Amino acid sequence: MQRWKQDFTTLSIVMIPVAIAINIVVGQIIYALKIPLYLDSIGTVLVGVLAGPWVGALTGLLANLIWGLSGLNVTYAPFAAVAAVIGLLAGLFGEGGWFRVWWKVIVGGLITGLVAATISAPISAYVFGGVTGSGMDAVVAIFRGMGLGILPSSFAQGVSSDPLDKAITFLVVWLIVKALPRRFVARFPRAENVR
Amino acid sequence: MALSLYLPRARGLHRLHPLTKLWLALFLFICGLALPGVLGAYAAFVALVVPLALWGAVLRPLLVAAGRVVLPFAVSLVLVQGLFWPRGTPLFGWGPLSFKLEGLLFAVRSTGRILMVVSSFLLFALTTRPDALALTLAQRGVPKSLTYILVATLQIIPRFQARAATILAAQQSRGLEIHGNLRRRVRALLPLIAPLVLGSLVDIEERAIALESRGFSRQGPKTSLLVLPDTRGQALARRLLAVASLAVVVMRLWVG
Amino acid sequence: MITIEHLTYTYPATSRPALQDLSLHIPAGQFCAIVGANGAGKSTLCYALTGFVPHFYRGRMEGRLQVAGHDIAVTPPSALVGLVGLVFANPFNQITGACYTVREEVAFGLENLGVPPAAMEQRIAQALALTGLTDLADRSPFALSGGQQQRLALAAVLAMQPRVLVLDEPTSQLDPVGTREVFAILAALAAQQDTTVVLVSHALEWVATHADRVIVLMAGRLVADGPPTEVLTRPELESWGVGTTRYTQAARRAQAQGLVPPGRPLPVTLSQAVAFWS
Repeated sequence: MQRWKQDFTTLSIVMIPVAIAINIVVGQIIYALKIPLYLDSIGTVLVGVLAGPWVGALTGLLANLIWGLSGLNVTYAPFAAVAAVIGLLAGLFGEGGWFRVWWKVIVGGLITGLVAATISAPISAYVFGGVTGSGMDAVVAIFRGMGLGILPSSFAQGVSSDPLDKAITFLVVWLIVKALPRRFVARFPRAENVR
Repeated sequence: MALSLYLPRARGLHRLHPLTKLWLALFLFICGLALPGVLGAYAAFVALVVPLALWGAVLRPLLVAAGRVVLPFAVSLVLVQGLFWPRGTPLFGWGPLSFKLEGLLFAVRSTGRILMVVSSFLLFALTTRPDALALTLAQRGVPKSLTYILVATLQIIPRFQARAATILAAQQSRGLEIHGNLRRRVRALLPLIAPLVLGSLVDIEERAIALESRGFSRQGPKTSLLVLPDTRGQALARRLLAVASLAVVVMRLWVG
Repeated sequence: MITIEHLTYTYPATSRPALQDLSLHIPAGQFCAIVGANGAGKSTLCYALTGFVPHFYRGRMEGRLQVAGHDIAVTPPSALVGLVGLVFANPFNQITGACYTVREEVAFGLENLGVPPAAMEQRIAQALALTGLTDLADRSPFALSGGQQQRLALAAVLAMQPRVLVLDEPTSQLDPVGTREVFAILAALAAQQDTTVVLVSHALEWVATHADRVIVLMAGRLVADGPPTEVLTRPELESWGVGTTRYTQAARRAQAQGLVPPGRPLPVTLSQAVAFWS
């Protein structure tokens, strides 16, 4: 547990604004290309893998709050806790060596997506009435039509999209880290996660 | 130059200390979530948010921004919860489906809640300069590394967006297709994302060295060039807001 | 001020040392230029003087390096802030991004040093005046040209009043206007003689005119050390991967063709060339 303080090197901290900008701009590109994914946590997962779970958690938390503060998408702010957990899990999977093998990367992403959907559901249900304001709400409608409550329907909607989204996110981060120069990766506190 | 919702004004709500505005936003947020009844949130909006927004001369931008965010949710709520409320009381039909009373009431109440949550956030962001917020947090003991992240992120997002646009134009001139079927659009992802991400990471090392050279990770007492004006009246108001927020929560838990 | 004894440094995961058996003493107030081919170890030396080698880059360091009374082997960069200042080539990467105005950017380091606000105002005004940025004090650092940003980096470092100033190719990424602006500031510093300056640069003519001393590095070793007139006329310069000034080139060719008596010392600056040819 003492290690977590050492993860907050100047390099890790300088990485965070860049990671948050990556989250936002890649998310915007995905939206502009009308691809049915979010892919808005690439930066968060990247920091988690390279700098550890707590720096990853901080990145996720601040990413969503700043996303709201910037005015680009205010509805991200209430989900800051979910984003923090994504960064945390990315760091923990990194510690466990899951980012060294491609299929473990995918499984790690699926699990993270499942956890994210679980934590998002109550927030979505209580703050946003169980809907997302997008086409994904058709899924919510189906489950509501089947008689499920608001929370389970919101959870079902999350499960239908989050695990896949996070699995692809983890895969993209795995590819990015492989493409980075090794002496650059070596500077980070958790470089051993990807060697 | 930095990205933010902030709209400068000379007087009014803007003159308050950022911490006061933060507590105000928190109080409004709690009201939005905790006030009972279908119209409780709307009452809070009209009675609290609108006068404050008028005082800050940001009512119109607030309504526009809030409307833009709330509208898709309102539509979804009416359609999804209104039409598909299980075992609801049908009111009127719409093709093979029918709108349920409970669903519509829920939709109205939820929309009000979203309106308050979004408005409280917008009110704060429209009237507070991000660096003033960063300064406040630093003065209250928040580590400078966190306030650095806040301000630096807001400043680099526009540059990132510009770089993404440049990369898009460059790749398109090389024949990249971004319209068409899903496969084609997905294939366009990597040539757009890879240069953006990899190019942005290269500069991080030098920036870390530059920050270190300016004492970023130095221990010891730090001072500040800028000073934020605060008054005893505001400090009292903040304490009152904290108490009021707690009171709303307690009342809601008690009433059930 | 700077004492280096048999310094050998190897970056991690490399076999060839970047600096080999380097020994050097730079007294206080001297303006010392470092020249050499790419990869000769000039940047590594700059990082060593500021503690980033070995503390940021890790790697293996042998020998001793003392700067402003501190043993670099046990002194991280954060402890050298205010004693040693670093300016490097890329002006954009030296903007912290944490400040909305030029004035605040200059204040950044002073705030971290805990300088009281009144003293801060004075130092900032001084630094802005020295670098010609007083009119731009309220502008965003991102709205400046490359040359202006590099002057801002200089101002931010000078405001911290370091005893040693290390500059690693400060003009290599600037256009001619920016280059001129930065060198004008460095000339003023050279004339003052209260700061020890170590400058890495390829601008030999400027170095010849303003530096007290020129050091040539090749493959990590020190191969020449002396006043500009002596070092920049050495015939081995080309084999070391260092060029020569136009004045030296012209004069050497004239001597080879017998137009000038062979014993006359070669010029490195304009004024020396005038004396040479008359």
